[in-house]
Amino acid sequence: MTMQGRTRSLWHVWPLLLLLLPAGAVWGQEPRGEQEQGEEAAADEPEKAGPKLDWGLEAKANYRHSDLNRFPVNFPAFKPEQLPPGQTQGFEETVNAGSHFEVSNVTLLLDGTWGTGLAAHAKLDFIDLYERNPTSSDKKFDVDEAWLRFGRETDPALLPERGGAYLKIGKFPKFERQDDRHLESYGLVSTAFNRLEDAGAELGIDLGRHLYLKASATQGNPVFLRDPNALAGDNGTLESRGQTNFDPELKTGIVILYDADVEDIDVDGKLELGGGLGLRFADPAGLKGLDVLVWGYKRTLAETVKLDGTFYGGDLDLLNGPFNLFPFPITDDKKQEVGANVWLYLGGFSFFGQYVDQELAGLPRTGIEAEVAWRIDLPLVWAVGGGQLFPFIAPAVRYSRLDNDFRAPRETPSPSFAWDWEKLDAGIRLGIVPGTDLTLEYAANRFILGSGAERENDEFLTTLRWRM
Amino acid sequence: MRKNLFCLLWFLGAGLLLGGPAAADDLKGRLQLLAKGGKGAARGADLRDAVIYYEPVSPQPLRPPAEPFLMTTERKSFVPRILTIPRGSRVRFPNSDPILHNVFSVAKENSFDLGLYRKGPGKEKKFTEPGLVRVYCNVHHDMAGYILVVDTPYFTSPDANGEFVLKGVPRGQGRLTVWHEQTDPWTMDLQLPTANPVAARIEVVRPQLPPHLNKSGESYFRRDRYKNR
Repeated sequence: MTMQGRTRSLWHVWPLLLLLLPAGAVWGQEPRGEQEQGEEAAADEPEKAGPKLDWGLEAKANYRHSDLNRFPVNFPAFKPEQLPPGQTQGFEETVNAGSHFEVSNVTLLLDGTWGTGLAAHAKLDFIDLYERNPTSSDKKFDVDEAWLRFGRETDPALLPERGGAYLKIGKFPKFERQDDRHLESYGLVSTAFNRLEDAGAELGIDLGRHLYLKASATQGNPVFLRDPNALAGDNGTLESRGQTNFDPELKTGIVILYDADVEDIDVDGKLELGGGLGLRFADPAGLKGLDVLVWGYKRTLAETVKLDGTFYGGDLDLLNGPFNLFPFPITDDKKQEVGANVWLYLGGFSFFGQYVDQELAGLPRTGIEAEVAWRIDLPLVWAVGGGQLFPFIAPAVRYSRLDNDFRAPRETPSPSFAWDWEKLDAGIRLGIVPGTDLTLEYAANRFILGSGAERENDEFLTTLRWRM
Repeated sequence: MRKNLFCLLWFLGAGLLLGGPAAADDLKGRLQLLAKGGKGAARGADLRDAVIYYEPVSPQPLRPPAEPFLMTTERKSFVPRILTIPRGSRVRFPNSDPILHNVFSVAKENSFDLGLYRKGPGKEKKFTEPGLVRVYCNVHHDMAGYILVVDTPYFTSPDANGEFVLKGVPRGQGRLTVWHEQTDPWTMDLQLPTANPVAARIEVVRPQLPPHLNKSGESYFRRDRYKNR
């Protein structure tokens, strides 16, 4: 077994640990008394905090229509046999353009808790088409999250009862990520900087009820490329290697630089260090809340990072271009970000905003993203199986932009890394019955090519989501 | 002989007056709900939602009814929304909605959790301690009801003008309490009978739907970091 194979297999141990933790805890539970079982009509006393095991399933089916757009790239280094049949030039091209029905997601969720002091969570993706990292030839099964947490973690814009701390270890979402999401698509900033989970340790400290600190030491997500629309493109797929005139089914995508998924435990002695300082206010019920967080990360980029599903290398390898001969104007091997988040909740209204300023090996870029959403509970008219039919409707609009303050090299297969980009996502989510909803959304991408010309690349996405 | 009979009747009459049921009166009064700061009448606060009860200094026997009171979940609301019951009474919570509800309370002395249940007769809870029981649904945040468990048989609610009458209240010392979901409790010690109707002017200090958490002590509005992707 190779080192890489051995470390990867560690991810498969996490779900087992998760199962063992609550299973052990369940042994300590007292059986229900005979009297209680016999009195079905009597009220129970409120539950005592104790060990609990919970699990869930989630599946998503989609209809997607992606506009067909292609943009020629100035990369004469492509030999004719490296291009699809009939092409004399390379393109950045919409991923899997046209209309498609697809099952994009099947996920198993496992949760174990023991009071508020100990929690374990695993999120196992059996299909995650839109998160596939980074190509269609990536592995199908993925341990998306697997972590243990000691202590209580407070959700954004909610107040804890008192000060406290937690330590989380494993693979988990970044603390500045927007997780209370109202659309299925992602904005440019969330895609570029914090969409995917990282592995390591995170410490959170509530200094009283309002002020809080975050600190993390993680592996760091490898820098790679993907299309910000629903599907990532096919770049460097393994099946294309050694083949002549290979025509990838999904096409390259019109790509941005982003933080890809962590696939192996391999810090190589270079941890990404992060920290955050936040201030929050909320009413006791959490109906209204305001949370402001400033944060930053820093790490040293690796010469290359091997990723499943592609023979392209991540980090500096990607920025140096093919064969290290067509580099972007990088100046060092440091990656650092500073940013700020705002969460605002006023009843059914919510706002999330994020600003990020990044230096990526000396390439400066900034991003801003803002989403407003409104959840409107609908009156009870119809019901199915004990659940309200059409319980809510929630329109949402998100604006995001990336400003890249660097230029692409004259010859590159990925000039879009340097394009300034705007994305407007607008959609509406309709609750069908509890646990099932339908989201319809339209993504309008607008970017400025190296020539200064403005172009668009839009997508319509419908998602039927089912949770149990 | 006639004289002895007269004396017997006199003693019997005096005995009835001294040792029989105490004299009783109707206690009348008027409630006014004032806007915050005490300036003018409160808007949006319904006088009929108030509960007025009188507790004589000498405890009165309580006779909880044999049948339970009802508080029904109906169109995602509690009906009635406010229920006053004598201590020791039972309340049944039928579900007339075609959807699941989970009625619960975390009241200190009267906590209960009915769990999820479908349309039907629902479950019962006996309330043995006096006090306010805030009743919620763990599924639907907007559902809120109140059960006021009182240690007296003398309770009522005012009419739309705020006027109320407590009938058959025993003479002597006691305490009158006015409870309204949007005010702090108001009390007055009384010596009955009173020469004039009681006037209660109380300031509204909180919204109709109070901030509350679910049965696990968590917000209904969790910004769920792990499950809401």
